[in-house]
Amino acid sequence: MVALLKRYRELLLVAVLLLAPLGVFFSHAKKDAERNRVDRAVVWVATPIERAVGWTATKVLGGWYGYVALRGSHARAQELTIRVEQLELERQQLAETKAEAERLRKLLAFSELSGERRFVGARVIGIRLGAVGRQVLTLDRGADAGLAPLMPVMVADGVVGRVHSVAAGTADVLVVTDLNSSIAVRVERTRARANVRGTGNPDLCRLDYALRAEDIIEGDPLVTSGTDGIFPRGLVVGKVTKLDRKQHGLFQEAKVVPAVDVTRVEEVLVLTSSERAAEIQPAAYAPAKP
Amino acid sequence: MKPLAHVVFALLLAALQAALLRWLGGGAFSVALLAICVVWAGLHGGNVDGSLAAFGVGYVMDLMAGTPKGLLTFLAVGLFLAVRAVSVAVDLKGRAALALLSGLGALFLSVGALLLLRNTVEAEGAPGGELAGRMIVEALLTAAAAPMVALGLRRLDARFHREESGLLG
Repeated sequence: MVALLKRYRELLLVAVLLLAPLGVFFSHAKKDAERNRVDRAVVWVATPIERAVGWTATKVLGGWYGYVALRGSHARAQELTIRVEQLELERQQLAETKAEAERLRKLLAFSELSGERRFVGARVIGIRLGAVGRQVLTLDRGADAGLAPLMPVMVADGVVGRVHSVAAGTADVLVVTDLNSSIAVRVERTRARANVRGTGNPDLCRLDYALRAEDIIEGDPLVTSGTDGIFPRGLVVGKVTKLDRKQHGLFQEAKVVPAVDVTRVEEVLVLTSSERAAEIQPAAYAPAKP
Repeated sequence: MKPLAHVVFALLLAALQAALLRWLGGGAFSVALLAICVVWAGLHGGNVDGSLAAFGVGYVMDLMAGTPKGLLTFLAVGLFLAVRAVSVAVDLKGRAALALLSGLGALFLSVGALLLLRNTVEAEGAPGGELAGRMIVEALLTAAAAPMVALGLRRLDARFHREESGLLG
């Protein structure tokens, strides 16, 4: 028997190694077997090895992906930088278009609110606000579009000025801050009358002919009175600031901050249907009679 | 000692496999590097050393894969015997033979496990035929990886190779 076992020991060993796990499998297949001590010991030994190998493999592969695989990424980064610059340019252009659309929408809403009045929209193509000479904005519309001298020019925020001179395709607008500009106004709160005159300074006007007895306080809004025959009633001109009411004299003095910053105007509306404007329209610019 | 070295090598390989698969595909496919160890034992080991190594590697496979105890151990010893039988019948040498047998071995382990599990555990808990594509991909990847694993196994075997003492020894 022993001789037989010795003779076939290899075969027996292989058979045991083959069949023992099969028996274990069939006995454990239908239930989740817990890990025994041997299993846990092997896993305990294997864990640091697994962790070390995993760490090494991860570092090697990380190095590959982080350095070697980045070959060509410099060129790609340059391409992307150019692309980002192009997109930034496009974004700026779109932002500009959006702001312009916003301004035009406000102008449109203003002209729609003004009922029967007819407006011509124009774009500012030139600005001359120097200390010497007239302070004018040049519009891209002129006599061909029906513009004539003295026509009021405004934006949604208020009065810009009046048309000073026209050519066929352009018109110059004398802005409210010009020394030669004088607009008849009322204090919106008290209906007190006065004039707003330009000072030559693009961000400041002064209040003229405001009787000393009138109730005016700093911050009072000023609107056109319509008595100068140029501007219709009710357009915002500016706001009273630095009021100086002296003990003597007929008038009180004040500075006025214009409602419209003339240095920033880009599109304007020209009121073409003003009764007064039609009256004073020169024959050369009057609409032809049928 | 040699079977134990094979088992330790299998442990290293299992860890490497887990780390590699994490990076390469994130589990979209699998590979059975330990099947190569069993095939190597079948081709280059003796009956006792080889079967012990196959048993140990199978045990590691069971432990790492979380399969029911004994399943992959039995299949690994079965694969070892199958490779021995093939190598006796056909003269198999070189990397191509190892790659071919490793791929077939991986397939043998997958299909064997699938069949055994389908006949023992509840139907809903058993793998189905829809895994066939994945098994074939696994077999192909295992075959592709075989030459690289063989380099390590060859070095390992060289450490246990004893020169026969000659006349001067």
